[in-house]
Amino acid sequence: LARTLSRRSTSLMQLVYGQFLTKPDSMASEENDDSEASGSEEEFFVPKGQKKVQQNELPAFDDIDAEDYSKFLKSELRDWSSEDLVNSIRDRFVTGNWSK
Amino acid sequence: MVRENSRRLSGSRQFRQRLVLATLTSTTVTIDDIRSGDAAPGLRPHEVSLLRLIDKISDHHTIDLNETGTKLRYRPGVIIGGKGLEHDCGVHRGIGYFLEPLILLGLFARAPIAIRLKGITNDTKDPSVDTFRMTTLHMLKHFGVPLEGLELKIDSRGSPPLGGGEVFLRVPIINSTLTAANWTNEGMVKRIRGVSFTTRVSPQIENRIIYAARGIFNRFIPDVHIFTDHRSGSAGGRSPGYGVSLVVETTTGCLLSVDVTVSYPNVDEMNEESEKPELMSPEDLGVQAASMLLEEVAQGGVVDSTHQGLLFILCALCPPDVSKVRVGQLTPYGIETLRNIRDFLDIKFVIKPDPNSNTVTLICVGAGVKNLARKSS
Repeated sequence: LARTLSRRSTSLMQLVYGQFLTKPDSMASEENDDSEASGSEEEFFVPKGQKKVQQNELPAFDDIDAEDYSKFLKSELRDWSSEDLVNSIRDRFVTGNWSK
Repeated sequence: MVRENSRRLSGSRQFRQRLVLATLTSTTVTIDDIRSGDAAPGLRPHEVSLLRLIDKISDHHTIDLNETGTKLRYRPGVIIGGKGLEHDCGVHRGIGYFLEPLILLGLFARAPIAIRLKGITNDTKDPSVDTFRMTTLHMLKHFGVPLEGLELKIDSRGSPPLGGGEVFLRVPIINSTLTAANWTNEGMVKRIRGVSFTTRVSPQIENRIIYAARGIFNRFIPDVHIFTDHRSGSAGGRSPGYGVSLVVETTTGCLLSVDVTVSYPNVDEMNEESEKPELMSPEDLGVQAASMLLEEVAQGGVVDSTHQGLLFILCALCPPDVSKVRVGQLTPYGIETLRNIRDFLDIKFVIKPDPNSNTVTLICVGAGVKNLARKSS
């Protein structure tokens, strides 16, 4: 878990363009705040998704002969019939509850 | 203004994007060490096929490949385009593999491209032709490409391993540059559309796929309509297979898509077991496709994970204006694309994570790539 947290605090710019790029610290700390606040339902997605990126990127980025896929194949799918998951994206639909 | 740039690269990864960006920036590329450590070194058949396709649509270019196929030198010329072209994409990768670079190159051609592509229309590795028709082509209108000349017609379908599909693609040219996009509001999902297809199997399978997918969607939204497209005879290609492409349409006109295909694997991939492996049932396939689509919705962003790369390239090609787009989690392919854009176009995106919605906002100033091939009138 500690590794995930430290990983997440490095900014996305660094992740994409390499470590030599120095970013203002504000970005990094912002990311940190994000990971610590875990109140809302949106946060539900954070840990797993972050981990997925790591798993997928490590083998692919070292390999100069990596296959050329634009499709992003998810390693695992969640069971979308479960109530929690359904509620977590309910408001992304026009049928969601917009009163709150 | 011919810029005599050149780049040295190694490895076969991101082969398509490197060739496309090299062409659009008139950069000579030399790619070394293409699978030099591999048991089967050199370019794969689909990559050679892509080179042949580029050879077909352009002029004044040189492509030098060494004997083992591990070293390629490509000096781009002018993209000519034109009507009545034909290309056999082979059966190693789907037509989707070729469509992605082709539409980018087509926009910057001298004459609009009209090409007939033969091969595998739906497979697991590449976006299906349905996804292209329903989603990818519509992305271009955000960058000022008129939808009129843009067309993809599926004449016949072909599933792996033998293919036999045929599509007809028309890409318009742009007059000088694209237009910068400010495309950050993904809106809410208002409807779900899709196409399920069957080739050389019972048409009843389509209904089973749709029934299973609907079962998941019904908890979210009632406006779900999945069309069926059963192909038999010569329009069904040479191999049995079935699958479904789904697309979500939002209130702001964003489209998120997924596609799933099931078919028998290649002959060389299944050499160990002599009998044909069991295929995934249509019900499972429907559930899988629906779940994948909901994952995309949960990710947020104005395009799905498959189209991130294309979106970034389009942004980078825009005139020197600010483009702003929002995507869900960056995919490995998207990240590689950003790096390629930096290498070829010298553009860095400002990447801002948005903690509230768990999305990423990318801002860039375009390189102002112009259509130089077009006849000046």
